[in-house]
Amino acid sequence: MSARENILARIRAANKTANIDDVMDGAVADRLGSPPISALPKLDWESEVHFKLRCKESASSLDEIARIEELPSAVNRYLSKNVLPNKAVCWPEFLNLSWAAEGIQMESRGAIGDDKVGLTGSYCAVAETGTLVLLSGPDSHATTSLLPETHIAVVQRSRIVKTMEDAWRLIRGEVGSLPRQVNFISGPSRTADIEMTLVYGAHGPFRVHVIIIDQ
Amino acid sequence: MELTSHQFKSVSSAKLKDVKLQKALYQAKDGFVVSRAKVVAELDNFEEIRQAAADVRDHCLAHLDLYLEEWEKQAQAAGTIVHWAESYEELNALVVKIAQDNKVKKIIKSKSMVGEETGLNQYVEGHGIEVKETDLGEYIIQQADEHPSHIIAPATHKSKDDVADLFAEKHQRPRLDDAEKLTHEAREILRPHFLDADMGITGANFMIAETGSTVIVTNEGNGRMTTTMPRVHVAISSIEKCLPTLDDFALIMRLLPRSATGQVISNYVSMTTGPKRTGDKDGPGAFHVIILDVGRTRVLGSELREALRCIRCGACMNHCPVYQNVGGHAYGWVYPGPIGSVLTPAYNGIENAIDLPNAATLCNQCGVVCPVKIPLPDLMRKLRERQYEKNLKSSTEKWSLRFWAYLALRPKLYSVVTRVMARAGKVLGGDSRRIKRMLFAGQDWTRHRDLPAPRGRTFRDIYINKNKTANR
Amino acid sequence: MRVGLFVTCLADLMRPSIGLAAVKLLERAGCEVVFPESQTCCGQPAYNAGDRQSAQQLARKVISEFADVDYVVVPSGSCGGMIKTHYEDLMSGLPEHRVKAQWLAARTYELTDFLANVIDMNSFDTAFQGTITYHDSCAGLRELNIKDQPRKLLAYLPHVDLKEMAGAEQCCGFGGTFSVKYGDISSRIVDVKCDDVEATQVDALVLGDLGCMMNIEGKLRRRGNHKTKVLHIAEVLTGLVGDETE
Repeated sequence: MSARENILARIRAANKTANIDDVMDGAVADRLGSPPISALPKLDWESEVHFKLRCKESASSLDEIARIEELPSAVNRYLSKNVLPNKAVCWPEFLNLSWAAEGIQMESRGAIGDDKVGLTGSYCAVAETGTLVLLSGPDSHATTSLLPETHIAVVQRSRIVKTMEDAWRLIRGEVGSLPRQVNFISGPSRTADIEMTLVYGAHGPFRVHVIIIDQ
Repeated sequence: MELTSHQFKSVSSAKLKDVKLQKALYQAKDGFVVSRAKVVAELDNFEEIRQAAADVRDHCLAHLDLYLEEWEKQAQAAGTIVHWAESYEELNALVVKIAQDNKVKKIIKSKSMVGEETGLNQYVEGHGIEVKETDLGEYIIQQADEHPSHIIAPATHKSKDDVADLFAEKHQRPRLDDAEKLTHEAREILRPHFLDADMGITGANFMIAETGSTVIVTNEGNGRMTTTMPRVHVAISSIEKCLPTLDDFALIMRLLPRSATGQVISNYVSMTTGPKRTGDKDGPGAFHVIILDVGRTRVLGSELREALRCIRCGACMNHCPVYQNVGGHAYGWVYPGPIGSVLTPAYNGIENAIDLPNAATLCNQCGVVCPVKIPLPDLMRKLRERQYEKNLKSSTEKWSLRFWAYLALRPKLYSVVTRVMARAGKVLGGDSRRIKRMLFAGQDWTRHRDLPAPRGRTFRDIYINKNKTANR
Repeated sequence: MRVGLFVTCLADLMRPSIGLAAVKLLERAGCEVVFPESQTCCGQPAYNAGDRQSAQQLARKVISEFADVDYVVVPSGSCGGMIKTHYEDLMSGLPEHRVKAQWLAARTYELTDFLANVIDMNSFDTAFQGTITYHDSCAGLRELNIKDQPRKLLAYLPHVDLKEMAGAEQCCGFGGTFSVKYGDISSRIVDVKCDDVEATQVDALVLGDLGCMMNIEGKLRRRGNHKTKVLHIAEVLTGLVGDETE
């Protein structure tokens, strides 16, 4: 017998020995078919307000714009203020904005080791934890939010959901099966592995800047 | 990993005298305990969520065969290559085979406790393949050629100065003096490895049956690198890490970061389902998952079953008065603290870790913080019962307790013996009313502290005599 | 109301004033105190050492000794916790005794819990005065939820000032046989506790468990601290301290 068969047989035997009375016919199929939500906290806050609060707590900075056309100037504002290079890589959806007018050299491709600034969109955001949800795909490189020292992310105001459960519901409904990777990102990379001292920029970005957009 | 739990007593005594370690443990305790308390208090229904999480874990374990089969089906549908391993050797050999089949020369690794169990790094390096740990703590430990002392903060026993010396030596660069600079030096050293490694190895915090996904939860971003940059990704996990659905995972995620690091959420939660898709510009071309069962099914069919609920947050050790003072290495295996005192004997044989279930005050500081309500003191007590049955207890302990029980079951004899003890104790205590030195088993008490002396008469003698007088 | 006093083996042998103080409190509350003279030990040492059989025999003995009272009161969170939360497990497989264990558990109260929640006692006859800090013993706190009860009772004493210490809920490192089997570790844990006590600079450390009491008092004295009194809460509430009972 294969390792797989042996292990599964041992699990069945163990559960029989332990006399588990959780065995209802179809319990597993039911749970997988329509996943129940077991317990939620109170969530007595307004999503956008809470999202912003949590972003700040996790050391992300914030900005807001009304229209996508305002994105280049918002990015420029952020880069100038923080004295960061005006050269960036982005997801294809943002390439056709007027970057040159703002003096920003923008390329649409996945990030490589030397890129300093990465601009991404986001699938949705989770207010409860101040989290960006990014799905990998042909037009949403995972490296853009990972390799550069600065990650700028655009979040649509209408897509700030309350909880991770809500994000899953959205993904199940709109996308169906999961992409290669779903990344939940909450602020810049960090570690406290040396004497519990919090340090940003362990391996991922040192900074995360969230730009909320109306449309 | 080699088991050294039988040395618990001597190692823990040495650790108590290690001044540097004591300072590090003190800092860690403060950090973990205080920050956890803060974010737990913020959830209005923490106890309800905790119960729901325990129920989900129990439900999943009760149908583990079905959920693992479903997980495998979904994973394979997404292109994941699934392997099963029944021994450490089998898992290690599978990893090396995958590496060799893919002509891998360099591996980057994100933290995995299963990998610590199997001794993976040593095995892989033995086959001429380079392995770089990338979690900062694990990287420090690997450079120092040590084992982790904590499941989420592997280098918590090392001071900043230790790390500064270590990096200066290993990196051949000027010695740095603060945590930020040291962290950034490690970033700089490791970055090229992320970019040119052929294969990435990660653990998996969970496997989601609904979608056939594996999840890793990290703060540093090394997990994302490891699952995205190399052309081959291998995730190693064990059967009990299964969760039914994405919503069950969301539930658990309210507890894991809070209990582990006192965060509302960890920085990066990365859920991987299969290798690179058509059109994807990044991600590995091949994704393998190896699922291990060493000891797990044995525990599943035993009275220790609840230990398999564990989600590896480390809260039990952070809150354990014993761990807080001796650190993780004293426990002598992969998992320290209360959960280790259960899993180590459960996976390695109770005769090989006699001290662990006994080296606990049963204060239940672990049990009340466990996010999945594992009754850790009860499980330790059950292990003590098995030790007693198998005659593994020290004869001094066994006979003194038997003598006590013999006495306590014979009230008349008991009252005479305690009367004598109360009188003798008073005499021994003298004017200071303290016994400073006792013999036999008592010397283990008075080596460290005085014994407040008995007062000369037992309560029963005083009380019964008083009542007689009153009734006369 | 017939109240059975389970005085505990440690109070009986080491510090009878605790038992006398408990009797005084219960009588003041109007209870008829019953003291079954054959009582000895609750069985916890055997239970925690893995000797289930001895523990079971002792538990059955306790159950039979307190079969005809309305309540059982125990001046110890540890022994109270044993009866209230572990006897039932100990009798699993013995359905008849299990029912009796449940019966007893439902009637058993730790002393301060009984005084605060059953009697709602609010006046005390005690000469004790001074500043104190309270150590929450592990079993009392985490098995029986004893936290507010002693503080509520102490608040009725006009001349007692409670000053909380850091780590009041932290284990003192006693742990029964742990204190001798792993003496080095136990000693370190109780050292930390003594530091916390001393940092408050109070006159007395007050607590509700004999095990912790012997451990912490023994350590304070060994450290050369002869000043900080270590008292059971029953002693504080009655003014009956160790010396007056000889």
